Amino acid sequence: MSNLINLIIPLIAGILLGYFLRNKKRVKLDKVIFWAIIALIFSLGFSIGSNSKLLNSLPTVGLTAIIISVMTILFSVFFVKIAKKVVKIE
Amino acid sequence: MIKYIILTLIAGIVAGYIGNITGSTLVINFVSEHLFDAFLILLLFVMGLSFGLDKDAVAKLKKTGVKVLVIPIATALGSILAGLIGGLILGVNTIASMAVSAGYGWYTLTGPLIGELFGPYWGALGFTVNFFRELITIIIMPLAVKLDKHAPVASGGATTMDTTLPIIVRYCGTDMLITSFSSGFILTLTAPFTIIAIASLR
Repeated sequence: MSNLINLIIPLIAGILLGYFLRNKKRVKLDKVIFWAIIALIFSLGFSIGSNSKLLNSLPTVGLTAIIISVMTILFSVFFVKIAKKVVKIE
Repeated sequence: MIKYIILTLIAGIVAGYIGNITGSTLVINFVSEHLFDAFLILLLFVMGLSFGLDKDAVAKLKKTGVKVLVIPIATALGSILAGLIGGLILGVNTIASMAVSAGYGWYTLTGPLIGELFGPYWGALGFTVNFFRELITIIIMPLAVKLDKHAPVASGGATTMDTTLPIIVRYCGTDMLITSFSSGFILTLTAPFTIIAIASLR
């Protein structure tokens, strides 16, 4: 739970700072975001590659896992599409 | 963008695999936890900053308002139904397959929790189903966003507050920051409770 708070604080701090700086200079953040994403994805990959429990279970359950996984994605997208129509979100 | 992401992911997996064989837990923990957290916090701050700076993004969110809450609800219902139908098609325990699907992509939680509740076979599935959900969400993002602006958020489930969030914002626009974060946040909070509730149906 402390982890959730660790994520909310920087997010809100960023939004507030951005809100107050709005009429000041324009900042270019695209490059920073790009490289931070690359670093994040690398460490995500690292945690997958070093997780022997996960890798060992792939050969036995891999195909079943892919089927269920693809279905959760398809059904979630389909349900969200319907829900958006019902409550009229653009 | 996605090219770089997939290449980096593969490089990370290979590095992690080698790191695990050569076996320094200190390095592994540092890269996969501390480094991850540091860049995630940096990204949240910077993405928050660009959201706050963007007048259109704030206006768009105000217009949608509390309606954004239907997205995690629809994602949760879709996931659990997919577990049920998937279980029926594969001819396996449908309660277990629904519980696995209610991890919404959060494999570090779902693997151990399902293992505890349904035994090691389903524990392995809890891990892999949700791991693939995250992986597929990242890979199909450029396609999914063409289908529907909210499709990557639906697809990402609980991961849209951390691992997939920056990529979603990159592909779907700054105005999706709060929509994506709140959906992932709500699904992260509800995943353990939903899994235990489904398990109690046995």
